[in-house]
Amino acid sequence: MKRYIYLLLLIICISTNAQTNVVTIVPKVDSVFLSKLTGEFFYEKKQYIGEQFFNIDWANGDILLSTGVTICNKSLKYNGLLDELIWLNTFNFGKFKLDKSFIAEFWLKNILGADIHFKQINVSDTSNIKRQCIFAEVKVEGKLSLYIQRKISVIGSENVYRNGVLYNYDDIQATPRYYIKLPSNHYLMLTKLRRRAFLKLFPEKKKDIAKIIRVNHLNIKQESDFVRLIELMNNEVVL
Amino acid sequence: MLLLKKIFFIILVQQVALMYCDIKAQTRGSEIAYLQTDRTVYIAGESIYYKLYILDAETKKRSVQSSKVGYVVLRAVNSTPSLKIRVNVNEGMANGSIVLPDTLTSGVYQVIAFTSAMRNPGEESFFHKEITIANRFDKALDFKLLESGTKNSNLTHLQSLEPLIKTDKPVYGTREKVIVHLAKTNCKANVSVSVFEESKIPSTYKSIVETVNDSSVVQKSKRVSNYHSPESKGKILRGTVVDVKTKQTIKDAVVLLSCVDTIPNLQYAVANSNGLFQMLLSDYYDGKELFLTIKDAPENSTWKIIIEDEFAQSEKWNPSLNYDNENYREFIVKSQNIVYINKSYKLNEDANEKQLIDVKSVCPQFYHSPVVTVLPSDFVPLPDFLEIAVEILPQVRIIKEKGKYCVQIFNDLLRQYDRRSPAIFLDGVFLDDVDKIILLGSEQIKKIDVIAAERAFGDLVFSGVVSITSKTNEMINTKPASYSMRLKNDNVNTGGNLVAVNPNTLHNPNIPFLKQLLYWNPNMELNGTDDTKFEFYTSDNLANYSIKVEGISEDGTPISASSGIQVTNKINSTDK
Repeated sequence: MKRYIYLLLLIICISTNAQTNVVTIVPKVDSVFLSKLTGEFFYEKKQYIGEQFFNIDWANGDILLSTGVTICNKSLKYNGLLDELIWLNTFNFGKFKLDKSFIAEFWLKNILGADIHFKQINVSDTSNIKRQCIFAEVKVEGKLSLYIQRKISVIGSENVYRNGVLYNYDDIQATPRYYIKLPSNHYLMLTKLRRRAFLKLFPEKKKDIAKIIRVNHLNIKQESDFVRLIELMNNEVVL
Repeated sequence: MLLLKKIFFIILVQQVALMYCDIKAQTRGSEIAYLQTDRTVYIAGESIYYKLYILDAETKKRSVQSSKVGYVVLRAVNSTPSLKIRVNVNEGMANGSIVLPDTLTSGVYQVIAFTSAMRNPGEESFFHKEITIANRFDKALDFKLLESGTKNSNLTHLQSLEPLIKTDKPVYGTREKVIVHLAKTNCKANVSVSVFEESKIPSTYKSIVETVNDSSVVQKSKRVSNYHSPESKGKILRGTVVDVKTKQTIKDAVVLLSCVDTIPNLQYAVANSNGLFQMLLSDYYDGKELFLTIKDAPENSTWKIIIEDEFAQSEKWNPSLNYDNENYREFIVKSQNIVYINKSYKLNEDANEKQLIDVKSVCPQFYHSPVVTVLPSDFVPLPDFLEIAVEILPQVRIIKEKGKYCVQIFNDLLRQYDRRSPAIFLDGVFLDDVDKIILLGSEQIKKIDVIAAERAFGDLVFSGVVSITSKTNEMINTKPASYSMRLKNDNVNTGGNLVAVNPNTLHNPNIPFLKQLLYWNPNMELNGTDDTKFEFYTSDNLANYSIKVEGISEDGTPISASSGIQVTNKINSTDK
């Protein structure tokens, strides 16, 4: 009896659904009318000793365009050597260097278990004459903000024999640059994390900062401690 | 046996879930439109002041997620549209005015208000209202009116909440201040208020209370056959790609959209299995001429883009009319005279307060990267683009294949010319035929931008970009290819609102101050805690006036109430 009731119920359900002459798919307008990413074909030069990308594997990421539109779930890689964001178009499997001026921010998801936020900032170059737009990782944002440019630089070159052929390879390695944004919107730049060099940047608050470092047992040569220091400075030091 | 039972149970659950999803899909995205107008009788040349409400069909509330675009159509008895306007809806509301052309013939007209999402349940869910328009110069007035037996919601005093309208007195003199109190509502509400001369001319429409209550019946009665996405981000351009020869729809055709600009711009949509494509038109496209073409349309193909008319009404309007307008003749003649006097004294010109619209349009640029710019004026004048390509554009070459010109870009990586076509723009518009630029020489071309690298625009890939800016807007003069089309995108209606005039502040108090519409406020906020007060002035027009309040509260309760006052020049001492 029970079996017949079930069977009857099933037949009713199937017949009701079969009468649906049109399968109603209600598309979300947001997923249909996304802004289009624009970029140039990326030819990946591989003659390097070292890794040119910040994330070796393609990461799922979101992009905030300069128009204020967010584009989600794209396969992305940040190239530290070129300071460019590379997009893998899964539709045609082309790799494209996205137009830098079109990108305000981007997020690389699940890089060693964390989401990494990059932002385009306008800073002076080392000569302090020319300004340039760079992508930098957002570490701290507040009165004092800390951005780290995940720069990869060529430090030399090597001749390598492969299959009896001599190749010239560039040696590349990570050379991060630390940009501290002051409340006045000016940027201070550090190429190496050294206690003395950092204190020199804030001559008037030197003692306060030194105290924070001492009290919290921070070794600012370590990036994590340096980030912690900037956070503590935001909380404790009157800037 | 146990396994069989399990499979059986899973199938049963799946089928029940499918049924539930189908029911949900039918009601999702459905909306209710309600349009309040300041009056129901107009003289051609006057403005219709309106307030449009777009409510969610399920919650009956205004919603930020509701359609951002509303459509209003005014059509004559023969169902021919006389006016079509598009309005921007903000949080379920829009207001403004529509100027009725002086050339409208006298007769009964139907106002239809709807959103694109309302096409899903069917045209019967649209808001309909009948109004009467008389031509200013029509002296015969022998047009048909609605049968007097038809229901006139204007005359029924409906109250759902209790915003009872209280005036300081029932009878007023001319040019006298009227103070009106609206009793407090249960919660915050937004209402529109109109004070207009009463007429006995029949008009059929439902109040907001009736519209909201009746909507649930209509919304659930129809099944979705051709789904219209809610225009929650802006206007959506819908169309179909068809082969006119075989009458078959073309699937996966890439439709490109661009418009004349100094910046090359592009948007594209891919036709689905039914040949249907949809494009979101941002504010950027408002009032512009749209150039649509099909990417890589086969040679000698008979493909065509057919754009859906967003204002189209498939259902004909057949009102019951009769010639019994003798009783109303007096009112229409009076209205004509008032309009004539006001036009003569130019009293209406300062009545409209234009709405300021914050336009944040963003051009959908094709590229955001540096380009090589060549100015032909820097070189010896060259007669045509063939010469220009040879002489001053080293990365571009033009060849002739099978009698057709092809543009090719030099690819640095391949060290050869790429056989694939680059994206060619003329005055910002994606070019459908290279032949259109061949005859352009140094005299016509202002500048040429070239990107000699493979470019991606979304999922589309081009071998490069050649963007030509002409001196004399050459794109406007070109004829679209057979598979392309041009389309004028209408402007959003930004009509102004009525400014209440104090007759005692007029420069010349001797000029006639005659008004049939004494007050119109499309956005009156009722705070839900206190009475709301507003004031206006009577005019020299002696008549009975209706005070009509309609709107919706925050909890989705429709509000509809009306009252009346009389304006006369014989006021008793007790009234004063």
